[in-house]
Amino acid sequence: MSSSNGLFGNRAIGLSLTLPAAIFAAALFLVPVAILLSEGFTGPEGGFSLGPYVDFFADPRYRAVFWRTLKLGALVTCVSAILGYIVAYAIVTLPSASRSKVFGLIILPLMISPVARTYAWLVILGRTGIVNDALGLFGIEPVRFLFTETAVFIGLLQLFMPLMIVSLLSAMENMPTDAVPAARMLGANWIQVFTRVIVPLTREGLVIGGTLVFTGSLTAYITPAILGGSKVLMLETLLYQRVTVGRDFASASVIAMILILVCFAANLGLRRLATVKKRAMK
Amino acid sequence: MIKRIALASVSALALAPMAAQADDCSLTISVYAFAQDDFDRIVYQPFEDMTGCKIVVETGNSVERLAKIEANRESPVIDMAVLATHDALGAANDGLLQPIDVSKLENYDKLYDIAKDPLGNHMAVGYTFYATSIVYRTDKVDVTSWADLLSPELAGNVAFPDVTTNQGPPSLYMLGKALGSDDTSLDVPMTELGEHADDMVTFYVRSSQLAQLMQQEEIWAAPVGRFSWAQFKESGLPIAWATPKEGQTGGMNVMVMTANNGNEELATKFMDFWLSTPVQTALAEALVDSPANSEVTVSDEIADNLTYGAETVNSLHLLPPEAMIANRDAWIEKWNNLVVK
Repeated sequence: MSSSNGLFGNRAIGLSLTLPAAIFAAALFLVPVAILLSEGFTGPEGGFSLGPYVDFFADPRYRAVFWRTLKLGALVTCVSAILGYIVAYAIVTLPSASRSKVFGLIILPLMISPVARTYAWLVILGRTGIVNDALGLFGIEPVRFLFTETAVFIGLLQLFMPLMIVSLLSAMENMPTDAVPAARMLGANWIQVFTRVIVPLTREGLVIGGTLVFTGSLTAYITPAILGGSKVLMLETLLYQRVTVGRDFASASVIAMILILVCFAANLGLRRLATVKKRAMK
Repeated sequence: MIKRIALASVSALALAPMAAQADDCSLTISVYAFAQDDFDRIVYQPFEDMTGCKIVVETGNSVERLAKIEANRESPVIDMAVLATHDALGAANDGLLQPIDVSKLENYDKLYDIAKDPLGNHMAVGYTFYATSIVYRTDKVDVTSWADLLSPELAGNVAFPDVTTNQGPPSLYMLGKALGSDDTSLDVPMTELGEHADDMVTFYVRSSQLAQLMQQEEIWAAPVGRFSWAQFKESGLPIAWATPKEGQTGGMNVMVMTANNGNEELATKFMDFWLSTPVQTALAEALVDSPANSEVTVSDEIADNLTYGAETVNSLHLLPPEAMIANRDAWIEKWNNLVVK
C-alpha cells in the first residue's frame, strides 16, 4: 500500500504517466481542431484575417440563425430545468425501491438512438399523429407542428431533459432531507422553498445539467435537421450546409468556433451564477 | 519482460511494410456507403476471385471522400472513385483525376451515349442514372407539370428538395422550365418558390423520410429520385410517378481514375468489370443501381423500380455538371435569400 502511495504521490511520475494520453489528445484532437478553426482566421490572400467572422455577423440571415439557435438552446435549458426540478423532487420523495424503477425509466430514453427518438416525433406530431388526434376530440382543426420551431423545441427537450433530471437528482439526493420540511415549518411558501432552499442547495447539479442541456441543444444536428428541415435552420444545420455543398470550410469553421465559444460562455456563466449565489448565501 | 515486449513491437512494426508489399496486388476504391453488402457480393468478391487482387473499399459522403483524395494528391491512396458528375467535374478541374483509357474498356461501346464521356476528355464514365420526377397522391391531385407543385390545390401539401440535396437543383431547373425559363441561374424558379415558401411543408434534406410523410398525409406530392420509388409503391397508398409535360430530370454517377495512382491497369480492369452486362444486370436486379449498360435486360417488375431503357435515359433533362459547379455557391446564397429567408 505504502509503495503504491509513494508511486502515485510523486508528482513527476504522475505527470509522466499522463504524458502519453496528453500527447495523444494533443496530436489527434487539439492540433486537428486548431487547424480546422484556423480556416476561419484566414483571409482570401492567406494571412490572418477576421474577415470570415465579420462576413458571418454582417449577414442578417446568419445572425437570425445564430439568435434562433441561442433562443432555442436557452428555452430548452430553462424548461428542462423547471420540469427537471419537479420530476427530480418527485423522485427523491419516493421510497427507495420505486425510486430506482422511476430512475430507470428516466434514463431509458438515453439508451435509444436520438435518430429513432426524433423519428418517433415525426409520427407523434404529424397531421394524423396522436397530438392532432387528441386536439380533434375537442373539435380543433389539425395543427401543423412538423418543420416548425415548436417541433424542434419539443424534440430537443425530450432528447436532453433526462440529462437535467439525472444531474438534479444526484444533487437533490445530497440535499439534507429535513431542509424542505424545516423551511416549510418556518413559514416559507413553496416558491420561497424552491428559490431559497432547493436551488441554492442543488446549484452544482443545475450547472452541470444546464451545461449539458444547453451545449447538447446547441450542437444537436439530427433533431433540427429532421424536425425543422431547412425552414428552421440552426447553426449546426447551417454548418452542414456550408461544408457539404458549399465546401466553404471558412464559414464552417467560424460556426464551429461560435458554437465552442457559446458553450464555454454558457458553462462559465452558469458557474458564475452558482458562485455568486454561494457567496450571497454566506 | 518490458524488453521482450519492446522487441516484439519493433519487430511487428518492421514486418508491417513487408506484409503490405507481399499483398501489392490490391485496388483501393472510394464509393458511397450505400448498399455495400450488395456491391461486395455482386462486384467486389467476384472481381477478387477473378483477379486474385484485393479490393480495399473506402466509403463516405462525397465531401469526405473528395477531401481525402485532395489531401493525398501527391501520393494517391485511392485508385478509382465513384462520384456524382458535378463532384467529378470539380475534382477534374482541381487536377485530381486523369483520363480513363477507354480503349481498354471492353464494355465501353455497350454504354448509353450519355454515359460514355459525360465530362469530356474521358475524365469519367457513367455507371448509373436516376430519373427525378414528382410522386403524388392520385386520390388528392393530378400532377401533369412541374408548375403544379405551386398550384393552390397542392398548397400546404408539398415537400420540395432543399437546394443542397442532389434532387434540389434539378427539380428547380425543371420548375424553371415549367415557368418558361431554361436559365441555369435558377433565378425564376427560386423567386417563384420563395413566394410560395409558406405553402411548402418542408424543404427536405433526406428523401428517406418522404415515404413516411406521405403515409402520415403530411404531404401529397414531392420531387424524388427514382431510387426512392419502391418505398412509396410499397406504402399501399394511391401514389403515382408523374410524367410532367416538361419531362423528367435526374442525375448520373460516374467512375473516375485518380491522377498518378500507379495502379491504372487494375483500376481500368475493375471499371470494365463493373460496367459488364452480367454485373450491371445483377446490380439492377438487386435494385441497387439502374444500368448504364444498354445491353442489360430486366423484367418489367424490376424495370418499374429503375431508370431503365434507352427511351427513359435519353429523355432525361440533366442539369449540366458545369452549370452545377459554376452556380453552386450562388444557388445556396439565392436559396437562403429568396426561399428559406
